[in-house]
Amino acid sequence: MSLITIVWSMVASCCFTLAAINLLVWIRNRTAWANLLFSLTAVSLAVFTFFELAMMRAGTPTEFGVVMRWAHVPLLAWLFSLTWFVRIYFGAGRLWLAWSVCSLRTLSLVPNFLTGVNLNYMRVTGVHRLPFLGELVSTPQGIPNPWMIIGQVSILLLIAFVADASVTVWRRGDRRKVFLGATIEFFLVLGLGQTMLLFWLNIQSPIIFSLPSLGMLAVMGYELSLDVLRASQLVRQLQASDAQLRESTSSMTLAAEATNFGIWIRYLDRNEIWANEVWRSLFGFSITERLNIDYILQRVHPEDREAVRQTWTKAIDGEGKYESEYRVVRPDGQMRWLASRGSVEFDDCVPAVSRGVTFDITDRKKVELETDRLRQEIAHVDRVSMMGQLASALAHEINQPLGAILRNAEAAEIFLRDPSPDLVEIRAILADIRKDDQRAGHVIDRMRRMLKRNKLDSQALEVTELVSDVVAMVRADAVARQSQLEIDVPECLPRVCGDRVQLQQVLLNLILNGMDSLNGANRDNRLVRLSARLDEARTIEITVSDTGQGIPAEKLHQIFDPFFTTKTNGMGMGLPISRTIIEAHRGRLWAENRSGGGAVFRFTLPVADGRISL
Amino acid sequence: MTAAKPTVHIVDDDASFLAAISRLLRASGFEVRTFSSAADFLEQREDGAPGCVVADLQMPGMSGFDLQSVLAQTSNPLPILFLTGHGDVPSSVRAIRDGAEDFLEKRAQKEKVVDAVRRCLERDANERRSRNQVHELRARFDALSTRELEVLSHVVHGRLNKQIADDLSIHERTVKLHRTAITTKLGVSSVAELTRVTIQAGIFPFPPLQQTFPKGQ
Repeated sequence: MSLITIVWSMVASCCFTLAAINLLVWIRNRTAWANLLFSLTAVSLAVFTFFELAMMRAGTPTEFGVVMRWAHVPLLAWLFSLTWFVRIYFGAGRLWLAWSVCSLRTLSLVPNFLTGVNLNYMRVTGVHRLPFLGELVSTPQGIPNPWMIIGQVSILLLIAFVADASVTVWRRGDRRKVFLGATIEFFLVLGLGQTMLLFWLNIQSPIIFSLPSLGMLAVMGYELSLDVLRASQLVRQLQASDAQLRESTSSMTLAAEATNFGIWIRYLDRNEIWANEVWRSLFGFSITERLNIDYILQRVHPEDREAVRQTWTKAIDGEGKYESEYRVVRPDGQMRWLASRGSVEFDDCVPAVSRGVTFDITDRKKVELETDRLRQEIAHVDRVSMMGQLASALAHEINQPLGAILRNAEAAEIFLRDPSPDLVEIRAILADIRKDDQRAGHVIDRMRRMLKRNKLDSQALEVTELVSDVVAMVRADAVARQSQLEIDVPECLPRVCGDRVQLQQVLLNLILNGMDSLNGANRDNRLVRLSARLDEARTIEITVSDTGQGIPAEKLHQIFDPFFTTKTNGMGMGLPISRTIIEAHRGRLWAENRSGGGAVFRFTLPVADGRISL
Repeated sequence: MTAAKPTVHIVDDDASFLAAISRLLRASGFEVRTFSSAADFLEQREDGAPGCVVADLQMPGMSGFDLQSVLAQTSNPLPILFLTGHGDVPSSVRAIRDGAEDFLEKRAQKEKVVDAVRRCLERDANERRSRNQVHELRARFDALSTRELEVLSHVVHGRLNKQIADDLSIHERTVKLHRTAITTKLGVSSVAELTRVTIQAGIFPFPPLQQTFPKGQ
């Protein structure tokens, strides 16, 4: 077998193989049009190869002319598929150029079949035999057909088209496609040059168009196979990331379910809502039930509905985020507290999707409400015990004038039994009665509420504990008022006997008084000091001193009188009540001025000795 | 001791109540002196003057309870009656337990107040009398020598002369001589009487009766 036959057959089979591979790719993926067009290019080249072989073997000018005429058909197909391959694969190139190439080439078939022997020759005058690859091959000699220009212009247009497309992809920065474009251009120019020399100038050479074309095809095939390779790599990566995604989704779902988080996504454009199972169970929706915003709002407690609606609207209108706590009433009548947190994603400033989590906070709410209630109750107890003290102080206050009135009246009665009563004395008595009546009236005016006196709840108490509880209460206050609070209570003090709450009230009152007295004092010297010591064997003395202005000497006695106050908002009850409490504990409470400025309040408490009695 | 008329000492920081109660008690026939604070009273009262104290419980400075405990330590512990603006149970219990004659509200019935004052004065008179007796007895005991006191303590505890002699390492006859001297100096005629005056004078801390007279003896 001749070498030419072998080589040309191999070229053809290469073309077919490439065509088959790319056809398969297209069959598997119908959007891979570039592969189909490549496949068509390869098939047309393979077919053309046979015509080329036949031309080399043609013995007569007539035979040569006929073969050449039919060879233009696969050539047309080749040109078509190459043009559209470039157009699709590059995603570039001017459409009008592509159409011009195709229509001109198609048009060139008219003179091919109607004028001369084919498109290239009016007449083939002779067939030369040239030595090529160790044998003699035919090469034509004849009169060129002027219509041939149409075909060559179409090739030129193709070159222009590919050049244009290549420039475009070069601008896009796709180097590999630029290289492919350049390769195509090279072989096209090579082919065009050969035909020009051969047909117009009658240069003697065999037609071996398929060899360079194969080179071009190989480069194209290589590029496409790289694409396939890249695609398969992408698929692998995609699979991997898909697996990761699935894993992270499932772990998120797992986490959401473990924490009982309801997850929801609201597609605002489609007005659709997706929610996970937990979310549905929180609201009492079944798994299959279709959700929409009105159904959901129906489940929200009527008192919270408007607030929830407003929160959503605000988030969508631009805040982007929202947080709300509300109650839902499930169809079974059960009420739960829920908290939702979410965000809205905007697509070109248009709200597109909002998503978030919802969780059950019923237990937390219960605790909060219970804490609130307790706090109020404690505040009430405090108030009540304070009011009890107040009431008792007031009762004491009012019994003084009433007692005086009674005793005066009784005395007057006795005086009047005298046949000659001392009228001066009786007048004095009546004046005193009037005065005391007014005094009692003033007390009554102030006496808004009288509450029953609390019983002393006496027990042995650690002084350190007593103090630290009160200090915890006033610590924040002290910081806010920029006052320093200094505590000096030895650990080893014996316990005192008393009512915890009442003694704490006394301490609280004294500390707050101390801090009040610091108003206007120098910032570096704002100190309230609380100390305790074992005074005598059976008494603990607790001292609260401050660095304020102190108490004017003439008022030292008055400060314990009910309703006496030096503060604008004071009731004048704190110290008398404190004194009442301390005295009820068999202790004493008194005030002094410190030599270095400021006031000192001291009170004593008996040491608890196992026997608790007051 | 003094023949002065018993005086009701009224101590109250509330001037108008002080005036009113003093009028009432004066009109009811009592001798009255008023004090506006416990300290004033302790300072200004006459030494040894008979009478009683009517005091307010809640007073600035020295309270009624303070006054009570200070007064109890003095040589003239007048009985005390508390009048309070607003009494509560713990305070009243404490006052009575510490020896107050009564604990009344300031607006208590006149009769109750007057009765209580009267009781106070009677109590003072009684206590004063027994104090005087004890005082007199004490004077007699002062005449005893140390040895005689020693012997006396054994006698009143029911010890026999022989046992006393053994205990003190002296002769039994010497014990007898001491006993004679004791009875003469104290002016008593029997051991029973001797024991009574000794207890009355509060000379020795006596153990409980049970130990003095053990079972089976």
